[in-house]
Amino acid sequence: MMSFLDAQDIITARRTYNEGLTQQVDSRRAAWFPLVLLATLLALPALQFVGNYNYVIHLILYTACYVVMAAGWNILGGFAGYVSLGHNVFFAIGGYFAGMILARYGISTIAMAPLAGLVAGIAGYLIGLITLRVRGPSFIISSLALVMIFRILFENWHFIGGAAGVALPANELSVKWTKLPYYYAFIIMAAFALWVTYRIRHSKFGLGLRAISKDEIKAESAGIDTRFYKVLAFAISAFFVGMAGAVWGEYLTYIRPNIFLVILVSVNMVLMCIIGGKGTIAGPVVGAVLIIAFNEVFVATLGASEINVLATGLVMMLTLIFFPLGVVGTLAKHNRLPRILNWD
Amino acid sequence: MLDVKGLSKNFGGIKAVDNCSFVAEAGLITALIGPNGAGKTTAFNCISRTMVPTLGEVWLDGERIDQLRPHRITARGLSRTFQISRNLADMSVLENVICQSKIRGWRDLFKPAMSSDEIDKALGILEFLGITRIAHEDGSNLSYGQKKLMDLAALLMSDPKIILLDEPAGGVNPTLLEEIIGHIRKLNEQGLTVLIVEHNMDLIMRLSHRVVVMSQGQVIAEGTPEEVQNDPIVLDAYLGGDQENGNG
Repeated sequence: MMSFLDAQDIITARRTYNEGLTQQVDSRRAAWFPLVLLATLLALPALQFVGNYNYVIHLILYTACYVVMAAGWNILGGFAGYVSLGHNVFFAIGGYFAGMILARYGISTIAMAPLAGLVAGIAGYLIGLITLRVRGPSFIISSLALVMIFRILFENWHFIGGAAGVALPANELSVKWTKLPYYYAFIIMAAFALWVTYRIRHSKFGLGLRAISKDEIKAESAGIDTRFYKVLAFAISAFFVGMAGAVWGEYLTYIRPNIFLVILVSVNMVLMCIIGGKGTIAGPVVGAVLIIAFNEVFVATLGASEINVLATGLVMMLTLIFFPLGVVGTLAKHNRLPRILNWD
Repeated sequence: MLDVKGLSKNFGGIKAVDNCSFVAEAGLITALIGPNGAGKTTAFNCISRTMVPTLGEVWLDGERIDQLRPHRITARGLSRTFQISRNLADMSVLENVICQSKIRGWRDLFKPAMSSDEIDKALGILEFLGITRIAHEDGSNLSYGQKKLMDLAALLMSDPKIILLDEPAGGVNPTLLEEIIGHIRKLNEQGLTVLIVEHNMDLIMRLSHRVVVMSQGQVIAEGTPEEVQNDPIVLDAYLGGDQENGNG
């Protein structure tokens, strides 16, 4: 049937042309930058030898925590186009799973993080089987309902401390070094999350997810098992959010429903992806850095009142007016993306 | 090859497809025609299971497919296009086409999105259809006709045994129409079975081996183009018979 593939010389010419295009894409990328960034961040705690940079360490750690979550969210929300406002449920599942094991058996949450992620991922898979049957606004509402259900569940479950939560033991390092295990855990998790999103972006799975986000009926008739793709994307994104939650609980030294199951956490995840650029690799990083930076600057200059919230909101609005596809997405569309931010 | 038996689809009280049976024989071009609202597209949707039929069976090569999910039907060798070209915006034509290549098992999921073999095959198909120059265009920047051709290219990527074309010539200019007719004929000569829904009678009469006429959800006539053209029942359905003056 495929006898029309005979024109071998034409195909060779096309192949050369295509390789040229690939090289062109490569030249627009600076692969060294993420690696240098990672190395810098890994070496940064050495500053503690010359002074007290606990605040800087905290900020980077906090940003990295959100990068893990936003990159995870990006797999479902950015690639597959299913906007979930309920991903903090997996933050809570991861946090409580690892936190309870720490409280009961004294096993570090950092060691338990992959397992906590897996538990969150399985929960995500099962929840996805139910909620991913609807799309668009219905899916968003179902994800909000999920948060409410889990909030009620966690607040009334006495084994895990109910609404009062559970206090976790702090580690025994001195004040100067106490943050470092969590710092490294989050940096490594963030790097891992970004690497996985990169791999997904360039796989058949990623292509299928993008097709689903554009037109699900077309994707289905193109031979893509849309239900499985979506549920798998949901599970992988829940895995990362759960991992972040596991370590976050120990870092705060207590777990309580109103740390994990507040809408601010999930909205932050979503906003970071949208501001940075949904469906891009660098988007969640740019978004997390921008939103946390705005927050800190406005709290420092305007004080911790409602004004800083207003100012942050205003900046985000302006960002989205000028960068409707997010910073990375819009710049990439107009071919203005600096090479160091092209991680796709 | 494709055997539709007693297919029905109700929307509430409306019978869009009503106990409809026909056969698309292997190696032939079968056309499904009928006035607007006859249920042709609904029948198509039920065959490819974009819609779930209310009643009836669909058999492909001796295998019942009306209970399979759409991607499984595509994997069995039945691919379709849509009346209003559905394309994936923000993805290049090449990606749109390669999206439709077969995936075997979950291991394939984590292979590179576009292997060089697939790119070669996709470019070969685009070459065949004469649209290689738009391979790297964004799917949403195409003209209506180019979208139709891209749909056809994507279809071929999945190595189908039978293709269902929903108005492949709808809204395209006469030059392109000739081109599309040529492509369909060539594919058919290479052994591909074609089932086609079309309003353009000229195209149907020139291209198809067999014609199935639907009206109000039912098959009212079947035969060669010449037979159907002279069938009083068909003329009735199209022209509205004696009672009312038709709007075709």
